[in-house]
Amino acid sequence: MPIEDYRGAAEKIASLLKTLTTLGGLRLKYRITAGAGAADPDGLEAREIYVEMAGPDAGLLTQRGGELLRALEHVAAKMIRLENEEHDKISFDANNFKALRAQELKLAAQTAADKVRETGQPYCFAPMSSRERRMLHLAFRGFEDIETSSSGEGLQRFVVAYPEGYDQRKFRPAPQAMARGRRR
Amino acid sequence: MTELERPDNMQQLVTEIAKALVDDPSAVVVEAQEGDESTVLRLHVAPTDVGKVIGKQGRTARSMRTILGAVSMKHHHRYTLDIIEEDRSEKE
Repeated sequence: MPIEDYRGAAEKIASLLKTLTTLGGLRLKYRITAGAGAADPDGLEAREIYVEMAGPDAGLLTQRGGELLRALEHVAAKMIRLENEEHDKISFDANNFKALRAQELKLAAQTAADKVRETGQPYCFAPMSSRERRMLHLAFRGFEDIETSSSGEGLQRFVVAYPEGYDQRKFRPAPQAMARGRRR
Repeated sequence: MTELERPDNMQQLVTEIAKALVDDPSAVVVEAQEGDESTVLRLHVAPTDVGKVIGKQGRTARSMRTILGAVSMKHHHRYTLDIIEEDRSEKE
């Protein structure tokens, strides 16, 4: 179900950002796009509201794997009362972070696919947010001989790539150690 | 820029965010407890709204702390967030 009131949602997000730039003293500019214009041209994000930020303090947003972007996405989604499974409809971005991350995940998918083919064994990724897992699943769409699923709970949930037809019941997945500098 | 360093701005910032998250904004109160190196912001909300500011698996509280952390860095002063429940001191 699409977000019902784009104008109201955009106003709430604008007021959150205004709080950060005035009371919080963060030097940020932002542009909020809602509706069809917000769609991800690559189809990797399911966004209906897209918030692009720039300015001297935009670097803070993308530190630690985009921790602050994710925090803002979560708080904004709660403010406009989205259900948990609808949180992907809001996306915050800065310095092209989302597109770069999508590219990284595509490369990671390619590398994992090669490894799975070479070894015939499943490949486990590091734990990721639900949005990133979604992007990763989509990145595997092009590989017909690889199947993906997610394992683990909560913050520890991660994607596993399996060779086609692999009996997933006989495998106990364990996530990769998290990459350096990425914290959740 | 000295105006930015006043903790009442941070108190106000947490108040604004919390008010947008809860069902009963009139019950939102934030107190500031000044320490030597950091300021503790104590957030009070209506008992029925405590779950809203904490969130599933503490995610909303963690997100607010991340936001506060970024602003702290900017102000060179640490602000921490405590969510106050009437019976227990903090739950996550």
